[in-house]
Amino acid sequence: MFLPSVLAASSLVSVQPGLIFWTLVTFVIVFFVLRSKAWGPILQLVEEREKQISAAIESAKRERAEAEKLLADQKTAIAEARRQAAEETRRNQQEMEKFREELMAKSRKEAEELKVSARREIDEQKAKAIAEVRAMAVDLAMEVAGKLVNERMDDSKHRALAEQFVQGLPLSGSGNAGVRRSA
Amino acid sequence: MRKAMVLFASLFVATAWASSESSEGHGEGHEPSTPEYILHHVSDSNDFELEVPLGKPIHLGAIPPIRVGSCEPKMTDHGPQIPGLGEGCLDLSITKHTVMMWLAALLLLGTVLIWSNRDKTKLVPRGAGANLIEMLVLFVRDEMAIKNIGKEDGPRYVPYLLTAFFFILFMNLLGLVPWMATATGNLAVTAGLAICTFLVTQAAGIRAAGLGGYLKHLTGGVHPLLWPIMIPVEVLGLFTKPFALTMRLFANMLAGHIVLFFLLGLIFILGHPGVAVVSVPFAFAIYLLELFVAFVQAYVFTLLSALFIGMAVATGHHHDDHGHGEQGHGHAEGGAGHDHGKAHA
Repeated sequence: MFLPSVLAASSLVSVQPGLIFWTLVTFVIVFFVLRSKAWGPILQLVEEREKQISAAIESAKRERAEAEKLLADQKTAIAEARRQAAEETRRNQQEMEKFREELMAKSRKEAEELKVSARREIDEQKAKAIAEVRAMAVDLAMEVAGKLVNERMDDSKHRALAEQFVQGLPLSGSGNAGVRRSA
Repeated sequence: MRKAMVLFASLFVATAWASSESSEGHGEGHEPSTPEYILHHVSDSNDFELEVPLGKPIHLGAIPPIRVGSCEPKMTDHGPQIPGLGEGCLDLSITKHTVMMWLAALLLLGTVLIWSNRDKTKLVPRGAGANLIEMLVLFVRDEMAIKNIGKEDGPRYVPYLLTAFFFILFMNLLGLVPWMATATGNLAVTAGLAICTFLVTQAAGIRAAGLGGYLKHLTGGVHPLLWPIMIPVEVLGLFTKPFALTMRLFANMLAGHIVLFFLLGLIFILGHPGVAVVSVPFAFAIYLLELFVAFVQAYVFTLLSALFIGMAVATGHHHDDHGHGEQGHGHAEGGAGHDHGKAHA
């Protein structure tokens, strides 16, 4: 029962040339249709996508490097600015200090000068006043003496005498006292 | 899923029971034996019939034979016989397997053209169909073409490999659909596919090495005195590769279907419906295995095609290494060529 059917199955391993022909024709048609309509576009699309992805990765890398560089630049710029600001502040302070000192010195000098000139003025005025006081004292003394003596004294003789007396008085405070005492 | 399996199995058991009873009832008619039935099912024929469960197949008629050349039927001892190709007759009849092949081709074209994403403005595929197709395309391109043929020449052969892969896959899968037949379980179909690979391989070899280099490769690069030995060996080597492709695909597809049918046929051979309890789950497992085999055989055929093309291309690069300026590229290709050379030896 089995063997004859297996022998009949030799049709299974017989090759029909017609079917080979149809296979070739079908395969070639399917190949060309799919190549132009499907595989070509799909592969192009995939390649395009791969290109875009690699380009995106590349540009991302580049941009990150650029950003890192920019960040580093900014950091150094900030440090530089900070340093400059500190420098500036320090210099300003120094300048202020110097200026203040200069100002102080100037004002001190001016004050000194003022003091000196004031003293000189005072001295001058004092000398003048003393001279005036002396002159007045002579006149007063002569008048007082004339009234006391009740006698008109020889003007030039007694004037010289009074002047001699005044000359003998001490110059400043004691001079005044002398004047007062003599009066 | 388990419920579905139980349902499936019980359905088969019921079918088997009923048909065993019916075959007992109409035993005296011309009922083909189980092996006959199976071999009839898996072999090609001009008749188109629709097999009806529990009944006789419905004949859908036959397409009139197409014959080219001198095809007068000759009277022999076994009745009238159509002369073969040797006598100048080419039988171009549309048979069951031809129709199945065309159906697979149409399904393939429809599937790929409808579901693949070919819109250049959308670089990312959307949906299961587009993703699946693109995944398979990328797999064939990266894992088969570029790995076996090389980065330089690989992409050129991708459309061929893709067509072979999908065409074989669709024919294999179509054979697993009820009422359909496996075109790849026919030696002529697998031979036709192998002829395509053979032609592409030779074209790749000639393209890479030039006609001179290609012919020189056929001498095996040995002393001219050894050529009478070497040339037949090399030429034989050319034809064994597509022959192996032919037989592998044919045998795998046919064997799977025969095993599947015999497991179910056991019910009728042993004549007891209880056998179905064992044979139906087995048949179901084999069916699932066949689904896997459909993919594996398409993969193997395509992979070997890529390998053969890669070998042909590598021999070309082997012969004219100086043709390529780039040092690195030449080196890489040389390395690949070396490997392939070893594999070939």
